Amino acid sequence: MSTHDELKANAAGYVLGGLDVQERLAFESHLTQCVECTAEVASLRPIVGALATAVPQVTPRAELRDRVIRSLDSVAAGLQTGPGPDVQTRRDSASMRMSAPAWLALAAAIAIAIGAAAYAMRIQRQMGELQARFDQVQATGAVLAAPDLARIDLQGQPIAPDARARALWSRSRGLVFTAANLPPAPAGKAYQVWVVTAQMPISAGLLTTDTTGGGTRYYYTPPDIAAPVAVAVTLEPAGGVPAPTGERYLLGMP
Amino acid sequence: MWLLAALARMQPAAESQAEDVSCLRRIASGDQAAAGGLYDRHSRALYSLILRIVGDETEAEDVLQEVFAQAFRQASRYDASRGAVAAWLLMMARSRAIDRLRARRTRIEGGTGEVTLDEMPDAQPNVAAVMLTDEQTRKVRRALGELPLLQRMAIELAYYEGLSHSEIAERLEQPLGTVKTRIRLGLLKLRDTLTEGPA
Repeated sequence: MSTHDELKANAAGYVLGGLDVQERLAFESHLTQCVECTAEVASLRPIVGALATAVPQVTPRAELRDRVIRSLDSVAAGLQTGPGPDVQTRRDSASMRMSAPAWLALAAAIAIAIGAAAYAMRIQRQMGELQARFDQVQATGAVLAAPDLARIDLQGQPIAPDARARALWSRSRGLVFTAANLPPAPAGKAYQVWVVTAQMPISAGLLTTDTTGGGTRYYYTPPDIAAPVAVAVTLEPAGGVPAPTGERYLLGMP
Repeated sequence: MWLLAALARMQPAAESQAEDVSCLRRIASGDQAAAGGLYDRHSRALYSLILRIVGDETEAEDVLQEVFAQAFRQASRYDASRGAVAAWLLMMARSRAIDRLRARRTRIEGGTGEVTLDEMPDAQPNVAAVMLTDEQTRKVRRALGELPLLQRMAIELAYYEGLSHSEIAERLEQPLGTVKTRIRLGLLKLRDTLTEGPA
C-alpha cells in the first residue's frame, strides 16, 4: 500500500502526463477519494497550459497554410464518403458465409503472417541496435561540426597522472567526451563525467571504459546551461550520483 | 489606467475565443473555408509547441497538418465548457507531437524495450484546458528560467519529451524519488509565480 505522501508526490507527474500506467490508475482512483490531491491537481493544471505557450515562438513557413488547408479537402471527403453502415453490414454477412476450406486457408495465411511478423521483429530489433549506434555516431558528428564548438582538454589528477581526456562541447548540440589511460573502474564503481558551471556541477552521465582505459561517448546537455567553468571526471558508486562525491580523476578548464 | 491596459489585453482573447467557436461550428456543418481563420489565429503557437517537441521543421509541419485534420474531424465534439479552443488545439498538438517522438523512440529501440506504445502513459490524462493571459505566460516563462536546473530539466523532459518519471530518472541518472520531488517542487514554484503580484 502506498502512503498518502507517496501518492501526493505523483500529482505533478500526473498533470504533466508523466506517470506509468499503474501509477496513473492508482492515482486516479486515489483522486476520487482525496480532496487534498484533487485540489493540488486543479491548482497545477494552469501551469501545464503555460508550458505549452512558454516555448520560443516561431512562425511557420507561409507556404504551409495552403498545404494544410488543401489537405483538409481529403479529410472532408473522407468524412462524407467513408464506408457507411450498409457497406459494413454487407461485408460482415459475407464473412459469416465463408465456407470451411476458406477458413482453413485463412488460418494458414494467419500462421504464415505470424511467422513473418516474428521474423520481421527480429530484423527490426537488429535494425534498432544499429540505429542506436548510428544515432550516437550522428550526434557525435553533429557536435564536431557545430559552429559553436569549444574544446576543453582534461589532465590526469594525482590518482591517475597518465589519464587524458578531451571534451568537445557545443551549446546547441551537446558534449562529446573522449578519455584515455583511465585505470579500470573497481567493481561497484563507475566513472562519471561532470560539466561544472559557476553554480554547480551537472552530471553529463557515466563513462564506460574499454580494456585500454579509453572511452568515447556523446552526452546531451541542455542548451541553456551556464557556460562551463570546468569539466571533470570522478569515480562514483555504479549508477552515478546527483552531485560529485568521489575522487577526481580528470580535470580541465576552458 | 492599469485596468484599461488589462482590458485591452483580455479583449482579444475573448473575441478570439468567440470567433474560434464560430469557426468550429461552421466546420462542423461542412464549411471548410472556416478553417482558414483557425489557422491564421493559432498556427504560430501550435507550430512553435510542436517544433519544440519534435525538433525538426519538416516533421513539425507534418504534425501541424495532422492537428488541423484532427480538429477538422472532431470539430463537432469540441466542448467549450472544458476550455478555450486555443487550449484544445494546443493539447492536440502536444499529444500528436509526443506520439511522433514516441514512435521515433520505439523505432530506434526496435521493440527491445519492455514498454509498448499502448502501455505508454497517456499524453494528456483528461487535463482540463486552461489558458493563461500573455502576462501570466511571460511570468511562467521567466520563472521556468529561474528554476534550479535539475528541476527545470525534469519538468521539460516530462512535458516536452513525454517521458515518464522512471524514464526521466534513467535519463538524468537520478533516483526516482528525487525526480518526483523535483518535478513537484518545480511546478509548485511555477504555480506560486502566478499568484504573486505583478513582477
